[in-house]
Amino acid sequence: MKRQGALSGYRVLDLTDNKGMLCPRLLADMGAGVVRVEKPRAETFKRLVETADVLVESFSPGYLESLGLGYSQLAQLNPRLVMASITNFGQSGPYRHYKSCDIVASALGGQLYVCGEPLSPPLKPFGNQSYYLASLFAATGVLLALRHRHSSGRGQHIDISLQECVASALDHVLVRYFYQGVVAERQGGLYWSGAFRVFPCKDGYILLSLFHQWQTLVEWLAAEGMAEDLVDEKWRDRAYRLEHLDHVIEVLERWTKSHAVAGLVEQGQAMRFPWAEVSSISKLLKSPQLEARNFWVEVEHPETGKKYKLPAPTLRAVGGNR
Amino acid sequence: MINQPVLHNIRILDFTWVLAGPYATRILADFGAEVIKVQPPLPEAEDKFSRGYYNTWNRNKLGITLNLNKPEGVAVAKKLVKISDAVVENFTPRVMANWGLDYANLKKIKPEIIMLSMSTMGNTGPWRDYTGFGSTIQAFSGMTYLTSLPGKPPLGLGTSYADHVAGLIGCLALLGALEHRQKSGEGQYIDLSQTEAMSSLLGGAILDYQIEGREVEPVGNSSTEAAPHGVYRCKGDDRWCAIAVFTDGEWRGFKRALGNPPWAEDKNFATFAGRLKNKARLDRLVEDWTKEHTAEKVVALLQGEGVAAGVVQDASDLAKDPQLKERGFFVELEHPELGKTISDAVPVRLSTTPARYSRAAPLMGQDNDYVYRELLGMSEGEVAKLRQQGVVK
Repeated sequence: MKRQGALSGYRVLDLTDNKGMLCPRLLADMGAGVVRVEKPRAETFKRLVETADVLVESFSPGYLESLGLGYSQLAQLNPRLVMASITNFGQSGPYRHYKSCDIVASALGGQLYVCGEPLSPPLKPFGNQSYYLASLFAATGVLLALRHRHSSGRGQHIDISLQECVASALDHVLVRYFYQGVVAERQGGLYWSGAFRVFPCKDGYILLSLFHQWQTLVEWLAAEGMAEDLVDEKWRDRAYRLEHLDHVIEVLERWTKSHAVAGLVEQGQAMRFPWAEVSSISKLLKSPQLEARNFWVEVEHPETGKKYKLPAPTLRAVGGNR
Repeated sequence: MINQPVLHNIRILDFTWVLAGPYATRILADFGAEVIKVQPPLPEAEDKFSRGYYNTWNRNKLGITLNLNKPEGVAVAKKLVKISDAVVENFTPRVMANWGLDYANLKKIKPEIIMLSMSTMGNTGPWRDYTGFGSTIQAFSGMTYLTSLPGKPPLGLGTSYADHVAGLIGCLALLGALEHRQKSGEGQYIDLSQTEAMSSLLGGAILDYQIEGREVEPVGNSSTEAAPHGVYRCKGDDRWCAIAVFTDGEWRGFKRALGNPPWAEDKNFATFAGRLKNKARLDRLVEDWTKEHTAEKVVALLQGEGVAAGVVQDASDLAKDPQLKERGFFVELEHPELGKTISDAVPVRLSTTPARYSRAAPLMGQDNDYVYRELLGMSEGEVAKLRQQGVVK
């Protein structure tokens, strides 16, 4: 049975650029009707706002106000309006008029500094991750505001800052600073705690864990005659392994290089090691798991008519027909 | 009139651990949901990092100890399901099923229950039992492969970023399910694969591969939309700034910020196409300038001329960042054992129903009395018996 989308019946006005474009798409994935507005012209736009539930925009702070279309002005026309504003630094604060983009948000938000090789320049994570985060947080805000509207009858304004979105997705970075006074550094393909590292195989790369089930791992290497001195008792001590991590890595690397990725991952996972293939896009498209779960949808190119596989909407499960 | 928090009448039964699950339920707790965190009765980690990590991702939640490896523990969990709106977990699929707490069973207890599962690979498919953490998921998803320099082995990210992504998408899905329940009265099961969540955020890479017919390779810090675009060394030890120049207007601003040096008038740099084509040389010239100045000064000069630039901030920079400070990004909470603690605010600023930060993460079993006596109405004797059986610690 096909269920209606959770947001079916809601109308969303989309006034976003690259920074916020994922937000209306997420709302559409949950069933909302999205109306794209290229350039808001005061009078026609006001009429649209009167019939809208949600407005998502990513103009610089103050721009819509200057057109007479700021939240306080629009809320007078439609008190039920939920408005989300996605900006570089938010609607307030000393940097609110600063210019930004993904790499700058990633830098000021603290994500860039910990990514890359130790002595090399900090490295930008692939894609426009700060934009995606901002859209995810903005959509979260929209759903919260819609829920509040059920009881209060009134909408509200949601203020999203790219910088803050990045800074609130830093895993260990702020924790180590505030609890231990440690400034996290770049470690290349080695996870900060030494728990995971990327290793080369015959035909690609594998992500191995270095702490889980150590004994089992050593026995596995030993069975293939490749454990070298790791069979020594002293390596059972985790602190000792961390202290001499370079040696552990050397031995493991000789072993992974003698194997193909897929086999190692399959066997490792069967033994409950949290290992993974470092998948390229071509590998991703061949993943039997993604295939089995209907992760891909076929989309026809509007001009050429050619068909391409794209990820199905992540939120298709919510009130959808999966 | 003071507004009630948005989720004031929502109760979440939270079986999550590590980061992805706790991150999802922390957002719900920050907006007023009553999140009951089920704490397995294991010895607590003593080291500062583990305690800080736990405290950071579990603020605003209640804590109960409950041993689910005993049938009496599962019976108590089922009573809690009955009085909850949603159940959240991020184990491998077999765990909840082994306890008899999978969706099919929960639905029998409470038909309108919402259940959010956030496993590594999802609840179906040949790899459903695969286990993983953020690093595993980033590798499987394509993020690790794509985050590196051109022609270099994959590096990946410096954090378990995929946990945040999965947590956010999980939280969003759960809010969507609450909206659906509001209209239809129906609950539902949300089977979120953390790998799929991360793979859905690869931008145009998947389409590019199919159109170009060749592997998408990492591009480092470069962009096809801006030049200069990258990270440049500044004065000092490991100090860097990010700069991005998109338009001709910004290029003119960039030149003004540098005092219009003669090299910038090279006609190879006069157009965006020229700057992109000669970006390697351009990057070297930019760095010749940035390395003579502090990162803060470079950023002030460039922003003064309308160019996107930012210091590559480390944790200590973040802690004193004037913008974050002004907006109250760092939240202080008193913890009964750790004292004053600091964590990051939820970056969803709602004008009339803002997030509230009322307490630090719960100690082991801190809310046993409230949950078992008050919410479940157990007698003192019943709770004592559970303690004796090792069900409640």
